[in-house]
Amino acid sequence: MNALLLALALGAQLQQPTTIPEMWGAWCARCHAQDGTGKIKEPTVTVEPMDFTDCKLATSEADADWERAIAKGGPGVGLSPQMPGFEDSLTPEQIRGFVSYMHGFCKEKGWPRGNANFPRPIITEKAFPEDEFLILPAISHEKEVEFVGLYEQRLGKRSMFEIAVPLVSAPGSPRYNGLGDLELSFKHTIVAGQSASGAPHIVAAGVEARMPNGNFEKGAGEGSLIFEPFISAGTMLGNFYLQTQFKVEFPTNREHAERAVLYNAYIGRDTSLSPQTWTIGAEFNGENHEYAITPQVRKGLTGTGALAAAVGATIPINERQERGVRWVGYLLWEYLEPWRARR
Amino acid sequence: MGRVLALGILGTLACAQVIAGQATGSITGVVTTTAKGAPPIRVTIDQNVCGTELPDEAIVVDAQGHLANSVISVVGLTSSVPRDPVITNERCRFGPRVQLMRPKSSVRTTSRDPILHTTQAQEASGRSIFNVALPMPGLNIARPIGAAGVVRLSCNTHPWMRGWMIVTDEAAAVSGADGRFTIDTVPPGTYEARVWHESLKGAPQKITVVAGKPTEINFSLK
Repeated sequence: MNALLLALALGAQLQQPTTIPEMWGAWCARCHAQDGTGKIKEPTVTVEPMDFTDCKLATSEADADWERAIAKGGPGVGLSPQMPGFEDSLTPEQIRGFVSYMHGFCKEKGWPRGNANFPRPIITEKAFPEDEFLILPAISHEKEVEFVGLYEQRLGKRSMFEIAVPLVSAPGSPRYNGLGDLELSFKHTIVAGQSASGAPHIVAAGVEARMPNGNFEKGAGEGSLIFEPFISAGTMLGNFYLQTQFKVEFPTNREHAERAVLYNAYIGRDTSLSPQTWTIGAEFNGENHEYAITPQVRKGLTGTGALAAAVGATIPINERQERGVRWVGYLLWEYLEPWRARR
Repeated sequence: MGRVLALGILGTLACAQVIAGQATGSITGVVTTTAKGAPPIRVTIDQNVCGTELPDEAIVVDAQGHLANSVISVVGLTSSVPRDPVITNERCRFGPRVQLMRPKSSVRTTSRDPILHTTQAQEASGRSIFNVALPMPGLNIARPIGAAGVVRLSCNTHPWMRGWMIVTDEAAAVSGADGRFTIDTVPPGTYEARVWHESLKGAPQKITVVAGKPTEINFSLK
């Protein structure tokens, strides 16, 4: 009888939390701290949890990834197995509530949400600012081989700069191997949000400057300083990513390079929710009156998806004899993300 | 005629049971140690549920040296005894501390505590098999475990909590609080019996089982 009274008293003392903030306090705060910083006086896990007040960190991934982390636990997104899965104890609505609550730890306005951080197409430049390092190989039907090393770094909440260093192996007798035209680029996110239907959207504008350092005579450079203002945009249509880019090239030396209008559009979708998913898509690529399509596949190579690769083929739609197929792809590293989890 | 047939069937069944009973023996014995148990664990988290002190169950030994939670198994002898393991989080301990389960089967985990527990299962290599949250009492969550081996259980919110699943198809038993164990239905023959304990070690022993009676074997662990 005394044991029953004790149990009843204990039950009354320890009422189960019912709201998301109460649940956060009773459960999540045990590792992630009441304030979301992950800093605990007496930690019971060996891996330091993410700091959700770090806006860059807390806003750069899609809600679906955070929901998966809560439902499946750390391994669901390639992170530590010390984060347990809650899929058997919480409803999908509650899990979404936790993600929304977690976003509240970032107190600064203006950070574009990761829902608009779509997978990168091979040619169409995405609108979301990234911290990435890429290697983009390309092989044309004329055996011209190009490797572009690309470094991207976010600046503040919505901007990014980029440096592209191409290495070119151009056909000829003898074959020319050397540096191609260096490119510097700046981009700023103008609009980022969510439509009434829930589809995320993002628009960015920027400008690239291509240097005339490559060997023009050997086919490894344009022989002109070229300014390339562009607009990139992205949204989702159901489960499909839609990304577009419109760019104009203004050469300063019109004897070597022509003014050109470039327009790219990408449609693709993931085959699963895992960061290691295959993403299947295709691009329409236009430059003045030359058109091509680039079917492609992309795959996350590590549990977190911080390392990814894509491969595709740019197939001309018109003037097919002269242009031929160009094999393209990339190896991408999100250098601020952990690429494998600690135990 | 019908009565004769029924009697015949009953007689055959009875004979078969006798033959089956005589055809097997059992292994029984006691596990002992000279090692001492560790002092209680001081609890600083969730004291309203866990209390302020919990026994350290890494070595559970009585005053006579009888050792609990040892697993004795018969090498190469497959057992068909049903195993339905349940891991219960109760008063910030896993119950039972050590239990048997079969490879490629499921284990159920539940909680009776009104606080967040997690049940994380890891292989000996440290690879995580699963980690599920049990934030409220009464949940029942089943998870598969694949290969044979020793699986370590832990709780990410209460670091002292420890449990073990011995995943095997072999005939096996866990020693009780008095150190005793029994493995039934062992066909006559000579076997090797092994002992496992989470923090002590003991040598394997040869044992010859005869039909119709228990064969005694004792283990001393260090």
